[in-house]
Amino acid sequence: MTHRLTRRTFLETTAGGAAVLGFPLPLRAQPKTFKIGAIHPVTGALAEPGQACRLGAKMAVDAINAAGGVKGKGGIKLELLLGDTQTKPENGRVEAERVVTRGAQMLLGSFDSGSTNAMVSVAQQRRVPFLIDIAAADPITANVAQSVKAGQQKVQYVYRNFPTGSSFGRKAVQYFIEIFKEANVSPKRVVLMYCNDLFGQNQAHGFQAAHKTANPSWDIVEVIPWPEPPTDLSTEVSKAKAAKPDIIAPITRPASALLLFPEIRKQRIEMMGIVGPGSPGIYESGQIVQLKEDLEYVLTSVPWANFKNPKTATAAEEFRRRSGGKTFDTNSGYSYDAVFVIADILERATALDDPDAIVDAMKKTNYSSGLMQYGGPVAFNELGDNANAIPTMIQILSQKPVAVWPKEAALQKFVFPRPRA
Amino acid sequence: MKWVLVAGVLALLALPAVLSSYALTLFILIFFYGFLGQAWNIVGGYAGQLSAGHAAFVGVGGYTATMLSIELGLTPWVGMLIGGVLAALLGAIIGYLGFRFGLRGFYFVLLTVAFAEICRVAVSNIDALGGPLGLYITFTGNPRQFQFQDGRVYYYIALALMLVATLTAWAIERRRFGIYLAAIREDEAAAEALGVNAFKYKMLAMVVSSFLTGLGGTFYAFYLFSLQPNTLFGIPLSVEIIIRPIVGGAGTLLGPILGSFILTPLAEISRLYLGQGGLHGAHLIAYGVLLIGVVLFLPEGVYPRLRRALARRSGQTR
Repeated sequence: MTHRLTRRTFLETTAGGAAVLGFPLPLRAQPKTFKIGAIHPVTGALAEPGQACRLGAKMAVDAINAAGGVKGKGGIKLELLLGDTQTKPENGRVEAERVVTRGAQMLLGSFDSGSTNAMVSVAQQRRVPFLIDIAAADPITANVAQSVKAGQQKVQYVYRNFPTGSSFGRKAVQYFIEIFKEANVSPKRVVLMYCNDLFGQNQAHGFQAAHKTANPSWDIVEVIPWPEPPTDLSTEVSKAKAAKPDIIAPITRPASALLLFPEIRKQRIEMMGIVGPGSPGIYESGQIVQLKEDLEYVLTSVPWANFKNPKTATAAEEFRRRSGGKTFDTNSGYSYDAVFVIADILERATALDDPDAIVDAMKKTNYSSGLMQYGGPVAFNELGDNANAIPTMIQILSQKPVAVWPKEAALQKFVFPRPRA
Repeated sequence: MKWVLVAGVLALLALPAVLSSYALTLFILIFFYGFLGQAWNIVGGYAGQLSAGHAAFVGVGGYTATMLSIELGLTPWVGMLIGGVLAALLGAIIGYLGFRFGLRGFYFVLLTVAFAEICRVAVSNIDALGGPLGLYITFTGNPRQFQFQDGRVYYYIALALMLVATLTAWAIERRRFGIYLAAIREDEAAAEALGVNAFKYKMLAMVVSSFLTGLGGTFYAFYLFSLQPNTLFGIPLSVEIIIRPIVGGAGTLLGPILGSFILTPLAEISRLYLGQGGLHGAHLIAYGVLLIGVVLFLPEGVYPRLRRALARRSGQTR
């Protein structure tokens, strides 16, 4: 049978061919990318840390792509599909749906626990592997692990490379005990002071719970919250003074730090020092410039970058440049690392178009080139958390923040008890 | 007009077949906020009692259903009704205090805000309710637990909620009850002089409105899988609830729905096109400017204007 090419068959075949082949052609012509939906609160109440997260993730993508993409997968480049939760939980869901519809093959985000949990439902429903770069609420991963265990969900698509809420408290108490022991002192009376907002309440609760479990030789003799942002903290500090503290353990925000530390100096409290379970931001140069000597010798437990890794200084410098002078810290650092962990997962995954293959690779993660300070390689436990994501005790020494504990992270020996003026 | 509405509902029923899951999510939010707006409309629009604390009812409903589900294993389908009843109870308390003591205008607004804030602070400090961190719901995809692997089910539930609230408002509007409420809104003293028991009808409106709003709490909780006191009892949610009926036309049947169909996509589009670049927050400014425009040029809302324009075109003198 000869095949005669009529106008009709010609049109049919070419139209059909164009529909099947022609449409994807422009896509094929472009360099292939692996799309990651990166969702953070870039506007709203959490805009500042959210923007730091976004910039951290962008920097990591730039670095990976500049170094040739995911080499094990034909040098495929990473591409971020950016999302903004506006600090509202519902937008975690909306944005996750949007980026997944636009082709995101993995999710990254999202700083606040509410919108992160809203993203979890999308990840589980639509089978999109989700690496949480920042979000502390314990149940986010634990709940998914539990529903997989109970057979309600087949696969866990949600993993987290960040300390959980409870581990923050546990680690802080542990560092307190270790530092007191190392310094060969035995303080008895600790006064906990905290900003009474979501962050402060969580940190304070976690610290108190961990203290109760650890039952160390020191007591929390007084707990003093203040409304955040405060207008004056003199009453709170005199209350702390009246409790005759050996240690004041503050949980501050940048706004309250500016009032609290000078007030502690003014009231001339006799004590061993200020050791806090978490004060994000006091290490920013703006804070140090304003608070000067009042911050000297202050110890606080925060997620911190590992400056023993030479790459950290380079990244921190780039971040400073691109952010207008900000410190490479918790937010930028963990988002940065998360993208590198994703790249590592993609290198090892047997297929990039199969979410379950990516999850398999995720479970086997053993990544030790992170820029943040870890207690070991990035690896996910049965809950999907990285137990090696830990905070670091830093101290302001000679007007610079320095990692001082745990020992393997320390760049300098801590100064405690603080020298008497 | 009736046929247009029926056709509209039929179209919405058929829509999920062609929507992407992102578009589906947007529609779910449109329906959900349309529903909350409609529930608010009963007391805020028809009765003219400006409640700026409706988030409290969402919170009470959501927390009730979630706690019952987590602690007692009670299905949220039942918890939803219990949450609605508790929200109605809270509404009755607020209403009683406000209406019994004749709080009007700003004073009533302050009372409702105060109650919502009290709830927020209280829940933030009760550890059994998850404290400031809130409650996290395990995603199981089990329909008995008000969870669905398929997003389309949420779509139909949200649509049903919106239609139920709208039918309720329609039923009220058609009855004497609705006329009393309008009379109270326009001139309470005159209405009372004519024998309308203002206290009773305002209370009824408040209870119906808070019950419906409380139902919404369960949907919120089991659609977003977490409850935080700050988002669920906070002023921003109350504002989100009010703003749709205000823009669409408070005290009209279709106003809240129209408002939701305008505002939710507007927020989304402005974020989509302005939120991607380096100008963080530009989309919020654009959204704000558009909002100001609506309030400035259509102070009574979009729907009354639209209805007049349609009536003029079809030559009716309605």
